[in-house]
Amino acid sequence: MRTAAGAIGRPLKNVGIYLLRGVSLLLASTIIAFFLSSIAPQDDPIHAYIQANPGVSAENVARMEEYWGLNQPPVARYVTWLKNILSGDMGYSTSNRRPVAEVIGVRFRASIALMMAAWIFSGILGFGVGCIMGRFAGRLIDRVLKRVCLVMCSIPTFWIGIVFLVFFSVTLGWFPFGLSMPIGANPDEVSIWQRLHHLVLPALTVSFLSFANLALVTREKLADVMESGYILFAKARGEKWILRRHALRNILIPAVTMQFGSFSELFGGSVIAENIFSYPGLGSALTASGKTDLPLFLGITLFSVLFVFCGNMIANILYSFIDPRVKRGD
Amino acid sequence: MKMKVLPAEKRPNRRAMIGIVCVLIFLILITLYIVGASMNELLFEPDFSQKLLPPTMKHPFGTDFLGRDMFARTIKGLSLSMFIGATASGAAAVIALIVGIVAALGKTWLDHFLNWVIDLTMGIPHTVLLILIAIATGRGITGLIIGISLTHWTGIARIIRGEVLQIRSRRYITASRKLGKSRLWVAVRHILPHMIPQFFIGLVLQFPHAIMHESGLTFLGYGMPPETPAIGIILSESMRYLSAGMWWLAFFPGAALAIVVLLIDKLGESLKLALDPASAQE
Amino acid sequence: MKKLISFALILTLSLALFAMLTGCTENATTENDPVETSDAAPTGEAAAPTDEDDDTGQPLPVKDELIIGFTSIPTHFDPLQSGSAGVLLFSSLIAADADMNIVPDLAESWEISNDGMVYTFNLRDDALFTDGTPVKASDVVFSYYTIMNGATSTDLSIVESVAAADDSTIVITLKQPRSVFLLTAAEVYIAPEHLYNDDFGLNPVGSGPFKLEQYNADEQFILTANEAYYAGAPAMKRVVFVKMDSEDVRLAAAQSGQVDITLTSAVTAAGVGEVPGYYLLVEESVDNMGIALPFTLNEGEINEYGAPVGNDVTGDIAVRKALSYGIDRQKICDDALSGFASPAYSENDGMPWSNPENKIDYDLDLAKKYLDDAGWIDEDGDGIRSKDGVRASFALLYFANDSVRQAVAHATAQQARDNLGIEIDVDAAATADFAATMYSTPIILAWGSSNPMTSYYLFHSSNAGKDDWYNPENYRNATVDSYLDQALNAKSLEESYEYWKKAQWDGITGTSLKGDAAYVFLINKKHLYWAREGLNTGRQKIHAHGDAWPLVANLKDWKWEQ
Repeated sequence: MRTAAGAIGRPLKNVGIYLLRGVSLLLASTIIAFFLSSIAPQDDPIHAYIQANPGVSAENVARMEEYWGLNQPPVARYVTWLKNILSGDMGYSTSNRRPVAEVIGVRFRASIALMMAAWIFSGILGFGVGCIMGRFAGRLIDRVLKRVCLVMCSIPTFWIGIVFLVFFSVTLGWFPFGLSMPIGANPDEVSIWQRLHHLVLPALTVSFLSFANLALVTREKLADVMESGYILFAKARGEKWILRRHALRNILIPAVTMQFGSFSELFGGSVIAENIFSYPGLGSALTASGKTDLPLFLGITLFSVLFVFCGNMIANILYSFIDPRVKRGD
Repeated sequence: MKMKVLPAEKRPNRRAMIGIVCVLIFLILITLYIVGASMNELLFEPDFSQKLLPPTMKHPFGTDFLGRDMFARTIKGLSLSMFIGATASGAAAVIALIVGIVAALGKTWLDHFLNWVIDLTMGIPHTVLLILIAIATGRGITGLIIGISLTHWTGIARIIRGEVLQIRSRRYITASRKLGKSRLWVAVRHILPHMIPQFFIGLVLQFPHAIMHESGLTFLGYGMPPETPAIGIILSESMRYLSAGMWWLAFFPGAALAIVVLLIDKLGESLKLALDPASAQE
Repeated sequence: MKKLISFALILTLSLALFAMLTGCTENATTENDPVETSDAAPTGEAAAPTDEDDDTGQPLPVKDELIIGFTSIPTHFDPLQSGSAGVLLFSSLIAADADMNIVPDLAESWEISNDGMVYTFNLRDDALFTDGTPVKASDVVFSYYTIMNGATSTDLSIVESVAAADDSTIVITLKQPRSVFLLTAAEVYIAPEHLYNDDFGLNPVGSGPFKLEQYNADEQFILTANEAYYAGAPAMKRVVFVKMDSEDVRLAAAQSGQVDITLTSAVTAAGVGEVPGYYLLVEESVDNMGIALPFTLNEGEINEYGAPVGNDVTGDIAVRKALSYGIDRQKICDDALSGFASPAYSENDGMPWSNPENKIDYDLDLAKKYLDDAGWIDEDGDGIRSKDGVRASFALLYFANDSVRQAVAHATAQQARDNLGIEIDVDAAATADFAATMYSTPIILAWGSSNPMTSYYLFHSSNAGKDDWYNPENYRNATVDSYLDQALNAKSLEESYEYWKKAQWDGITGTSLKGDAAYVFLINKKHLYWAREGLNTGRQKIHAHGDAWPLVANLKDWKWEQ
């Protein structure tokens, strides 16, 4: 095991390695995504179109095939697609009839709001609850909260989303049943509060699982720290505010690191929440496009990889700052 | 999610308890599986004269919109979920074990490459990768098993790899190498046996994740076809009746799934304590 | 011991949590009542009740806004590129009314030449596009040619030429007579030539009863009344179409009082019962559901798509006849769809081109006789017949996520097994999976349109075994072909009726259940909607297949009752 040479130089070098790695990973993901989706016996846009509009003549089908470039073999289509991506053109969404980049841009704005809300919410609450559990490790409150967290980990996200929808929206009427803004409103005039109001339930759904995970990990970390020599020593000296002065910084950074490393689950959770709450973000577009709209599906896949990659990179940089034993960027 | 270590004087007794708990849970699960897997499909045939009934002695979980008995359907669904979960996490654990052994061979470039593959797998969000694989394999049980095992091996692989790196630096391994034994010989004779507990623990710990992903993917329409009595399908079908007050359609199958997940989770934790006491004391 | 106790605790807690979260929903229906009834009062409030922006708050004397929980939001509105909402934003030369009569729209009058090949339309002079310019003959010519040269689903390949004789006279010449041409023309919407560009799909300008106010992709679109509409401005001044693609969400939206009308299905409506403040709007349709039965025996043939063709059970006409006569259609309607359907006997029941003789009576004995005579006998006493070692057993596929088709399939399977000794194994499949199976496996399909062309696509041999869903069963019958050709090439619609009817049943053969029965029609769906009390949706044309767009086709006639 090598040790870090310099506290600052190391992370910077890591960033370089990471970017290089990142490019190769992204490239590999595009290949995986493209070929997995083109060996599929799936509907092409033509089929979807014919089904939606019975009565299409053969001539028209041929014309549409040409228009959508479906006569080429998969490899040729991939090469074309990749070339276009590199030149900044992500293709044309057949179901939205707009450029993929534009669709993703609009959708991402909605999704990022949802994911960040869930991320911050689960981060703060999970960390707080974890601290309480760790501080009172072994006592009743710890045991109760821990079991609640364990149960939360065992509840599928989509199921809790449905329960939230039925209970808080249909039964109590506190929150809208879905969408990202009031029905019939002009998006330019929608206030931030209205947007937040529509965000609450999906965000709760997304954060449900990660909240419990973070709380449990924080609890373990804090419980360990509280039993470590220097805390015992500080306690013995009769110091006050031990938690804040000594323990907190030891557990805060792992928690933040873990949050950044959870972008993959965050994205996965938002796919499910967006489908339950008809929230017009990347996740609902992903599941819809997976059946018919290859360019959009690939675009979103690529985008999600980039998103997760960014989270992981931040997590790694943070991690190499706090743990000098980290020898590689993995 | 490690268990808190109990005071030392209770330990011998505790090992026995853990063993009993493991066996007990295992028996419950295996019974559930056998009952479900061997169940006659006629038990949940549609019967339109019995539509949407609340729970009774005859139908403990009620019936759905086609008049199917939800108790039988739920048990069948659980056994299906367990089958998929076991197969997928088993396959994932095998992949992870192979990766771990390869890491043990000590070739740096190979290790780098495997790390890259792990990063690649973890870099695509699981849900997205699962949808991709489901599309490629045409949706259904096979696609689910392939998808879940291909997305879930990385967690176990990392643990096994870490363990391998630790063991490799031990003296007797180095001595063995110095004595002229090949890398493969060392890997199989000295390192592999140490991996077996990790293998089983990883397998069981991935099991609940596999089941949750299975039902989630099915809910999104990329899992099993709606005719299958899968928990994901049962729960998504129940949604519209939930708001009409028919809570039992969603409650019992959902609770049953959560209980099975908790049981398996418990089994994993206990197994970890029983097979690998060292890690429990970290 | 401690482990077991804590484990028991976890279980209890999990149950308690579930009980807490879901148990509360038990009160859903009771707690809803006061909220719903207050919402239902016509207060002029159109925005979602839970939102803070109280919609300027002024109580209107007559409510004139509407929120529709719709299945999908169009990606564009360009009628020349098969855009949706054509009938709302645009006008066509002519239209079909609720009784399937051709009535004037942009054309005041029209003449058809004796040979049925030249159509002359005379435009009215008071129709304006919403930018204020009049609709001219040149716009019509432009629209027709754009469709003919473009990639769209409107099939105008029969048209030879379109010409403007003067500013208000259009002459359309066909390559050969086409009886259904007027029905096709009723669906060709006219766009303004001077405003047509690449962005037209999102900035549509038409001469229809509504204009597009706002469009949020995949979320909603808002229409406002066209006050200058030549036939009078609609009563609804602002209509919001909001996307709710799942049945569950639409139901939740109605239950929480956030939409004025939304789609539902027989399965949901029967299961849910009532939604307070709403009534169940029931519309008749020709949206028929039936089973496409592979018409030929399986002789190992693999078609151009690489899929196997034929089925040894359904390829036998005796089996198809038995299914035609031996399935109690009314019982399916009652069992599976809680009465929200009626028996169907053809693809076009109730249309002027439907043969009244298509209707057959449920006759179980006759059905059994067909099977017995053909040698389908239950030899091994398992309740399922077989013949020459072939079990009378087949899979029946339906589209995943369509609970109505699922219920119909199961109800049919139950009857076939119990009464006929035919085993039907119901299975769901994703749309994609049909490509490999639909030529050899029976499928539940649904059709129904206000254009007899559908019959041509369904049964003409030129379309047999293609991958467009019309005729996967590979039905071919030379006699039927010739009737269909005569019907299509008749000089007028009226003249064609006789041939359409003969194609269905001419006394000897035909496509109907009395004839070849390649397609066993089972039920006509009723289209169901939750509509807020007080909403009058006018007199609707008998609905075609698909329950979203046919509902709003007459949106201009909708109003709120006082």
